[in-house]
Amino acid sequence: MSDDRAPRWRRYVRLARPNVPADVDDELAFHIQARIDRNIALGLTPDDAQRDAIARFGDVDAVRSALVRHDERQHATERRAEYIADVAQDLRFGWRALRRAPGFTIAAALTLALGIGANTAIFSVLNAVVLQPLPYAHPDRLVTLGQGSSGEYLALRERLRTITDLAEWNATTDPVDDGRDALRLTGVAVTPNLMPLLGTAPMLGRGFTPNDGVPGSDRVLVLSYATWRREFGGARDVVGRAVRLQGLPYTIIGVMPPSFRYPNANVQYWRPYAIDAKNLGLMWGVGGKEFVGRLSPNVTLDQVRREVHTVWPSLRSANPIWDPGPEYRQDATATPLKANVVGASAPLLWMLFGATFLVLLIACVNVANLLLARATARERELAVRAALGGGRGRLMRQLITEGVMLSGLGAAAGVGLAMLVVRALVGGVPTGLPRANEIAVSGIALLFALAMAIATGIVFSIVPAIRATSGAAWASGSMLGRRATASKSHARTSSWLVGGEIALAVMLVVGSLLLVRSFAALRSIAPGFDPTHVIAARISAPAATYAPGSQRLASFYADVLDRIRATPGVRSAALVDQLSLAAPVWSQAIRVQGQFEDVTHTLPMADHLQTVSPDYFATMGIHVLRGRSFTDDDRAGQRPVAVVSRSIAKRFWPAGDAIGQRIGYPFDSPWITIVGVVPDTKQDSLRDTSTATMYLPWAQRTTMVGSELWLVARTTGDPAGAGAAIRRIVRDIDRGVPVSDIRTMDDVVSGSVVAARFTSALVTVFALVALALGAVGIFGVMSYVVSERRQEMGLRIALGASGAQVQQLIVGRALRLVAIGTVAGLACALIAVRPLHRWLYGVSPIDPVTFAGVPIVFAAVALLASYLPARRASRASPAAAMREGADGKAG
Amino acid sequence: MPTSRDPGDLLQGTLRILILKSLLLGAAHGYAISRWIEDTTGDVLRIEEGSLYPALRRLQDRGLVTSDWGLSENNRRARYYTITRAGRALLRAEASIWLEYSRAVTRVLRADPSLA
Repeated sequence: MSDDRAPRWRRYVRLARPNVPADVDDELAFHIQARIDRNIALGLTPDDAQRDAIARFGDVDAVRSALVRHDERQHATERRAEYIADVAQDLRFGWRALRRAPGFTIAAALTLALGIGANTAIFSVLNAVVLQPLPYAHPDRLVTLGQGSSGEYLALRERLRTITDLAEWNATTDPVDDGRDALRLTGVAVTPNLMPLLGTAPMLGRGFTPNDGVPGSDRVLVLSYATWRREFGGARDVVGRAVRLQGLPYTIIGVMPPSFRYPNANVQYWRPYAIDAKNLGLMWGVGGKEFVGRLSPNVTLDQVRREVHTVWPSLRSANPIWDPGPEYRQDATATPLKANVVGASAPLLWMLFGATFLVLLIACVNVANLLLARATARERELAVRAALGGGRGRLMRQLITEGVMLSGLGAAAGVGLAMLVVRALVGGVPTGLPRANEIAVSGIALLFALAMAIATGIVFSIVPAIRATSGAAWASGSMLGRRATASKSHARTSSWLVGGEIALAVMLVVGSLLLVRSFAALRSIAPGFDPTHVIAARISAPAATYAPGSQRLASFYADVLDRIRATPGVRSAALVDQLSLAAPVWSQAIRVQGQFEDVTHTLPMADHLQTVSPDYFATMGIHVLRGRSFTDDDRAGQRPVAVVSRSIAKRFWPAGDAIGQRIGYPFDSPWITIVGVVPDTKQDSLRDTSTATMYLPWAQRTTMVGSELWLVARTTGDPAGAGAAIRRIVRDIDRGVPVSDIRTMDDVVSGSVVAARFTSALVTVFALVALALGAVGIFGVMSYVVSERRQEMGLRIALGASGAQVQQLIVGRALRLVAIGTVAGLACALIAVRPLHRWLYGVSPIDPVTFAGVPIVFAAVALLASYLPARRASRASPAAAMREGADGKAG
Repeated sequence: MPTSRDPGDLLQGTLRILILKSLLLGAAHGYAISRWIEDTTGDVLRIEEGSLYPALRRLQDRGLVTSDWGLSENNRRARYYTITRAGRALLRAEASIWLEYSRAVTRVLRADPSLA
């Protein structure tokens, strides 16, 4: 039990951390052994001596465990206090060090603020849109089945076992008149079970009941929270109020809570969709209704998919009006509702998040470089501190604490930046980010920023800390002697970091160039019509007053056209049911005489169908290639006529002439004769490759297109002025008809590519930040190289080198560094840009122009960033350099 | 040397005074303290040696003594205790109370009638 017999290693363990039980054992053993020794000296036998010693001592085990307990508690307290004191000291030292170098601190903190801010901003959006569950009851159990007709809906609802309930909705826009203003509101017609299915109750009034879905008793409305606040002033007595919708009296029965925005944030009201089961044509002939369902308990998504995939195609035989053919619904499946709502935003946001992460890495490298340079400058301070007894670990901890403090400052500024950026992002995504109302710099985002601060603080300070502490005074005796080697090694580490930084920046610049080139390609696409000097406005005649097909409707629009044509500056005006490039222009299955006449088989599609008034082609600047345009004689009761775009003519009559050929609706109806051929135009988007369009005269189709039409007018000068005229003219004729979405066609065209512009602009901003940080990095490392080698430069000049030669030396070194980084970056980019393909148009992900252009950009950056240091080097005066060297030695 | 005494035989305060007094001579390990008490009292005030250590911890917690490892006379690792200024002050205060107390008791016992 004596100390001598204790294993030797224990002593070393004790040095690292006190071994409490061993210490207690040692102390007590010493006491008992001393007593035994004395007893033996007094003449006792060894056995008696030991017995007596223990008897005098008392209960050894009880004393031992009491002491161990006491000492362990005390050590824990001491360690904690020591740790807190250390941290406090680190923080104090760190704060003092940062304050001593305010320029460095501000530069580093701002760099980090950019990186952390951009990351936190994009993370906030990503979190709200993609990561958080939808704000409905058990949102993971909701699926969408895609689109179909009401007949299919009723049949699926009855047959699907894996779905507890299925709801149907379709977007609708209606002229709404609350007695003061005629408005065009965006709503959704829903089966009454939609809101219970999603699990949301109205915050005011009641929701829909099954009775509201019966034709005739369906004239009730539920308002969105935003509409209630904006259009009805948030009045609590809004429930029960009457409004006119499509000219018919409706009663407001409820208001939904602000969180409920299904299917999107644009929805202003919900009205019941009354399915008229007797109208078979409407039931089975009109598709485009969205189906959303909730999984039955204990059913998996796969089970639903399997059932939908077998049940839906089996409805082919249930269709009472036609045989949709053997390919009918072979692709039927179920998609989680969230994937459907979030849609294309998810990959976009992940891509942006990746881009900001690259920016953050680059910022870290830059700060690491700054720290490295500073550590070299602080070498003596660190050496002294090391000599005064701070261990290497302690010194590293000090440096890393400084780093985390720095990134903490950066994160604080970054969160402020993120709040601004998030606000700009939410407002600036014009195509409407889904779930935009849920986006905020939330608690999770703040936690994210904090984690970022700690992680980046450690990341960027670890290399400088290792370098600094391995340098510091482990040679404090010869502090000056090793200066040259230390600076050489600093320059090497720094060059590695900057090379890596350049590689990261190259990846970002490649990505941004690809997106910018795509956008340019997209923007240079001719839409096929001439958008300049054309203005468009939507006129929503209420269907109850202006019934489709009625004389009243025809004379209303004739009146509008006459008056707008009489307006000074207007050259021509026309009507169209669906405006190109504003929203998808629907397709239409067609019969073709002599080729596809059998309606029981799958018929060919015209990609788009537009219903237009006679002057449409002249107004939109679409030249008639063959035949003629529509005239006022193409009206109801006359021979049905059509104009087709070139793709349709080429497809069905590749050799002959389309004029005089006949096509038809996909059901039994009179043939329609083709009288003219026009060029293809872009309809859904500029990227649209399906441009085969069929045009029909509105006068022969008034019963089929509803009462809402777009007015387009070509003006001699700036078209924007005609907007007010259109509004005034319609108001003069009938103040109950709302006019909305007055926009020039130029705006409509650029609006259709606004998402691409947004994406490329955002990534370009990130790339420019990366480029700037890269330039700063090069500048930093070159300046360091120059200042460390000033003596050498002076010597070279003294030996006859010209200033230009010295400059070349420095610039050449920067170019070499950037070349290595660029090659590495391009190699990485070859793989990294692959996911970009979905946003690219007209450029390949390995676009040669981009991949050839990027090295030029970076060479220019290298030249620019190394110019100042190089000039400084070339001016190194030999005498001054020598003197400085001597001073350095003396100091 | 048979020893069997209740731990309660000595009042805590008494043990504290004995320990602090023993340390006035200089730093000492636990065994030396118990030996000093034994020798000084002529083995009259016998303490259970094991109870010395918890008492020392308590004194240390109160800042009356400090401890450090050192080498004993025969070159063994031992824990040495040193009295602090606070310890000396406390000892002085308690000693004067003790002396006054014992003087009073002595006076009582010597007063008439004599015990004999």
